[in-house]
Amino acid sequence: MSYTEKHDSTSKEEWMKTLANKEISRTTINKLIMNYLVIEGFKEAAEKFEMESGVKPSVDLNSLNNRIQIRDAIMNGRIQEATALLNQLHPELLDNDRNLYFHLQQLHLIELIRNNRVEEALAFAQSHLSEAGEDDTSILNELERTVALLAFEDPLNSPFGDLLQPAHRQKVVKVASKVNAAILKMEHQIQISPKLSTLLKLILWSQDQLDKKITKYPKMTDLESATIESPK
Amino acid sequence: MSEGVTSEIMQIGMQPFMTFVNVESSRAYIDDLYSPDSDKCLESLICIKNSVIGSNRQKESVIAQGIVPRLMQILKDRNLKTNLRLEAAVIIGSLAKGMADHVELLLNCGTIPLLLEILEENEKLLIDVCLCCLRTLALHDKGSLSTTYTLQQLQKLLSFVNPSENIPRQACVATILSCACKGPVEQKALCAAGAPQVLAVMLCMQHIAVRIPTLTCLAAMCYENKEVAAEVANTVYHDVMIPNLLVSLLSRDKPIEMQLEASKCLTNIYRAGALSAFDTIIANRTLPCLVRLCQAEHALPYRIAAAENLGYLTEVDSELQQTAAISNQLIGSLTDLLNSSDTAARRAAFRNNSVDICRAFASLGANDEDIRKRIIETNRLMGRVVEGLGDEDEGIRLAAVRCLHSLSRSVQQLRTTFQDHSVWRPLMSLLTVFATGSPPPELLSAASSALCNLLLEFSPAKEPMLQQGAVQLLATLTTRPEASLRLNGVWALMNLAFQSEQRVKSQILTALGTDQIFRLLADSDTGVLMKTLGLLRNLVSPRAHTDTMMALHGSQVMQAVVLVLEGPHSPDVKEQALCILANIADGERAKDYIMANEDVLKKLTDYMTHPSTRLQTAAIFCIGNLVRRGEAGALERQQRLRDMGVLTILHQLVSTPDSLLFDKVKAAMTQFTDL
Repeated sequence: MSYTEKHDSTSKEEWMKTLANKEISRTTINKLIMNYLVIEGFKEAAEKFEMESGVKPSVDLNSLNNRIQIRDAIMNGRIQEATALLNQLHPELLDNDRNLYFHLQQLHLIELIRNNRVEEALAFAQSHLSEAGEDDTSILNELERTVALLAFEDPLNSPFGDLLQPAHRQKVVKVASKVNAAILKMEHQIQISPKLSTLLKLILWSQDQLDKKITKYPKMTDLESATIESPK
Repeated sequence: MSEGVTSEIMQIGMQPFMTFVNVESSRAYIDDLYSPDSDKCLESLICIKNSVIGSNRQKESVIAQGIVPRLMQILKDRNLKTNLRLEAAVIIGSLAKGMADHVELLLNCGTIPLLLEILEENEKLLIDVCLCCLRTLALHDKGSLSTTYTLQQLQKLLSFVNPSENIPRQACVATILSCACKGPVEQKALCAAGAPQVLAVMLCMQHIAVRIPTLTCLAAMCYENKEVAAEVANTVYHDVMIPNLLVSLLSRDKPIEMQLEASKCLTNIYRAGALSAFDTIIANRTLPCLVRLCQAEHALPYRIAAAENLGYLTEVDSELQQTAAISNQLIGSLTDLLNSSDTAARRAAFRNNSVDICRAFASLGANDEDIRKRIIETNRLMGRVVEGLGDEDEGIRLAAVRCLHSLSRSVQQLRTTFQDHSVWRPLMSLLTVFATGSPPPELLSAASSALCNLLLEFSPAKEPMLQQGAVQLLATLTTRPEASLRLNGVWALMNLAFQSEQRVKSQILTALGTDQIFRLLADSDTGVLMKTLGLLRNLVSPRAHTDTMMALHGSQVMQAVVLVLEGPHSPDVKEQALCILANIADGERAKDYIMANEDVLKKLTDYMTHPSTRLQTAAIFCIGNLVRRGEAGALERQQRLRDMGVLTILHQLVSTPDSLLFDKVKAAMTQFTDL
């Protein structure tokens, strides 16, 4: 094919063929998975995966204990316990990252509301959360939404009920992951996010670049199922 | 509360997780802080710690309850269990991350010396926490009361950065030491403690968390310190000198922050005189790196910092300015930085930043007409600068004025771009506002310097500025307590008076007033005095104006001249005064002011035999003007001066070896008509 020849796009079939011919070794994939498990602090899964695949984790899995303990506490709504553990492990972390501190406190507030400890929630919001909104409008917004829950007899069915819904788990996971990354950063780990997520970001970025150039190409439309659609 | 708490750090029970909600409920915990029972005390400490970390309000609350002295006491007491002291140190460290007054309180009650003392102990964890706390406090430890580290303390700190130590320790120490570099004394002390060698080792560590503060520290050590910079530049590690180590950190594959800090270091070493401007490290590596960092693809804060540093790098060397100006779109990317302030969202972040960019421009434009031209031709720059003059932020106004001052050195620009943008207008309004308020002298000084250039005789802005009351404004400036401002005021007036119309001259004299002129003539600053005399001289010349000006203000001018001639001034100053007399003597009726003044005539004859030939020359030039043939009353004047012995003195001076003086003597003698 000469360079002057203009070809509009690669067909999906061609692309899938190219992909199929591209060999990625199992070891590489396994290493990627192990990297994900270690960074995200899934110790048990990492141990099992080590047994199954034979891939050695890059760090001593016992060093994951602190991070796991903190993540579990957050995931189970024991925010104050998580905060105390975090302060024990890295006393400067939450003073340096007030945004993260706010998100942890917000989770705690939601827990209090969920458990109907209204007075405690109100006092807590006043003493620990209100200052965070003072100079950050985005925080103020979130804070107002959360505190608004207190105004309703039945917070779950209020306009802000989404904060108490299972969808809220997403946020909890996000905060837990942020805390995890912050700890890794504090411990001067060069890598603070799994290589897998970097790869996914790379796909999105590349497709974005292609879209901007109005190129037709087989596009991955769903990351979760890796669905690739034909050029339109 | 028994959910699988396994870790040893959890053994203290769940109570400490309860952060206290208000002062009343915290009372109990605070009370336990003073308990002799160490378990209770520890529980209290942990509770306080978890409450204050992350929250300024809680910090405020516990400080208000007076716990700081108790914390210090616990931290100091070597008889207590280490974990108690550790928690106390953590709390102090957290309080140090609070508001300015919290930090000040800690600094004032001697926290830093205490922490330094603890470093001498052998408790690893405690030392780690104390170093973190020291780092936080050191960043705020400024002003006259700031800590001075002894040689021993510096050496102790440096001992914590052995390659075998942990990364946080090394990072902490580098930051603490860079904060310690407050002036030449501290820089030298660090040098004496062996810092250059240690820092060279740290530069070679792979970890960015260590390298960056190390670079900051080196830059702080070398800043404006020739000796230390030379020492650093000659320090070798693994056969490589520090400047070469630094160069390797400038390459594109290094993190931006590292490139930036490394170039700062090299800039400071160069500016301190330890590297030459021609050194390839500076001209071919540091400069291009900074130019590259100014470009649009980088994050704003880095671009700003790079632009500022570039300004400092090129400030005094016109070769570097030229290289920078022709480099890869630099002027474009700097202007782009200024333009980015368009977005209102970025405005706040950008505010302080314009300053540095304008400074970079000011620096680039300092010495070279071509560069000034290129800068000005850059899209919309002048518009931005003019906008900057009216900005509400003081820093931006200052930067814009500085930039304008630098660009106003160009005759051509004064006549073109400056005029197109009516630059004088915002500048005048800026200065007018000043007249009523109390702006910082630095701003006034830069603004009035630019004004001086705009009032030069050939500047088209001169006339409109006069109409806007420039004279009054400058007259006010001459009354400022700062010598530099008085100087600029008089200087600008002098420029204004040069070859100007009669009405302008009268305006100047009226605006200044006789009293102010005498005050300026008695000014402690010789520059001000000289320019005031220059102003008077411009006022009474050229010949066409002399008589009118003298008719109106003759007695005051004469008084002023006498005042200077009698004062304890240098020949330079007296020469100016004599030149004024010569100008007066050039007039027709104005001559009478001299002839009628016995005292002045006596002085003139005295100066004819003064040891300084310059003063002799000026006095004789004046005499020559007085006795000029063919003018009304010339004969009487000649007779008068002859009677005073002037001609005799002239005859004696014919033998002078000074050719200039000889010419004047000859010229004066030929005016005398033989009787």
